[in-house]
Amino acid sequence: MGKVIVITSGKGGVGKTTSTANLGTALAMIGKTVVIIDADVGLRNLDVVMGLESRVVFTSMDVIEKRCDLDKALVKDRRVEDLMLLAASQRNRKDDIKPEQMFDICERLREEYDFILVDSPAGIEQGFHNAAAGAEEAIIITTPDVSAIRDADRIIGLLQNQNIDPISLILNRLSPTLVKKGNMISKNDVLDILNIDLLGVVPEDEGVIASTNRGVPLVHNEQSPGAEAYMRIARRMTGQRVPIPEMREDNFFSNILNWFSRK
Amino acid sequence: MDFKSLFTRKSKSSNIATQRLKLILTQDRFDVSEDSMKQLQFELTEVLAKYFEFTMTSVSMSLKREGNSYVLMADFPYHDSAK
Ligand SMILES: Nc1ncnc2c1ncn2[C@@H]1O[C@H](COP(=O)(O)OP(=O)(O)O)[C@@H](O)[C@H]1O
Ligand SMILES: [Mg+2]
Repeated sequence: MGKVIVITSGKGGVGKTTSTANLGTALAMIGKTVVIIDADVGLRNLDVVMGLESRVVFTSMDVIEKRCDLDKALVKDRRVEDLMLLAASQRNRKDDIKPEQMFDICERLREEYDFILVDSPAGIEQGFHNAAAGAEEAIIITTPDVSAIRDADRIIGLLQNQNIDPISLILNRLSPTLVKKGNMISKNDVLDILNIDLLGVVPEDEGVIASTNRGVPLVHNEQSPGAEAYMRIARRMTGQRVPIPEMREDNFFSNILNWFSRK
Repeated sequence: MDFKSLFTRKSKSSNIATQRLKLILTQDRFDVSEDSMKQLQFELTEVLAKYFEFTMTSVSMSLKREGNSYVLMADFPYHDSAK
């Protein structure tokens, strides 16, 4: 029996889709069988971030309305073994799908796959409830800013009411240089405020944008700091004990300042 | 003053953000207005003042998440006016 994990945030644009694509790919790379589900009906983009848009024929809506079998609606990623995408319908609205239908799809998939990752839409309305309907666990994505953390807090409360457990956090787009300058909320402050388990920290990484442009998830390129972070998180998700490294900034000027202010 | 502080601004924006967030989340989690919150703090201070001889300064309250529930925390910093 596999695990169904919803990847959600409240606020839009914080990295849910990026994280779903990269964690799904990373889990498949370390030998797990994975389905990633786009639950953002009407604004689908997981297929685009994955570079699979041209191969999507059927969507979850087609499965629900019995136009095709679930197996047939899954798009196989050809770059890595055992990674499938279930796309969202672009023509439908979020409330065209019922939570029970989403639950049903997730239940069927977990009989065959190790991990089912559900990419949630922004917001706390129907679309979010659908995305969470089949999930037993949740990963909250936030960036280190006031409004994203506020929304994350709200979402954590909602998920706890639905008995989703564990709920863990990925802090995305952290810039150690900005934290050090005092212009970004630090990891420890975020954890102190939200008080949930940290699954990992993903640094701000230009590579994310380039990889989205290409439709090739970052983890295919092992060189980048973002890719390394996602690989570590994926290994942690499989139960391996992988430490969360403290991020070092590599800014020459601040290193000099550090040297001067050494006690 | 250390060398580094010459290059950093006095109140860092990250500290301001953290303080603002704590306040916002306390209100979100309590689900009460700022006015009722102030009233609550005022009344609590009054009750404590009946039993102790001290002067309260800047009472603050917060809700901290502990697993699936919340813990209500209140800080009552005081000066001992008897001394
Ligand atoms: N770690 C990162 N570094 C740099 N850019 C990022 C990072 N994570 C996400 N982004 C960018 O932020 C934008 C929003 O990301 P996306 O995953 O679509 O968010 P969401 O699905 O939460 O709306 C995208 O343009 C993406 O390339
Ligand atoms: Mg998205």
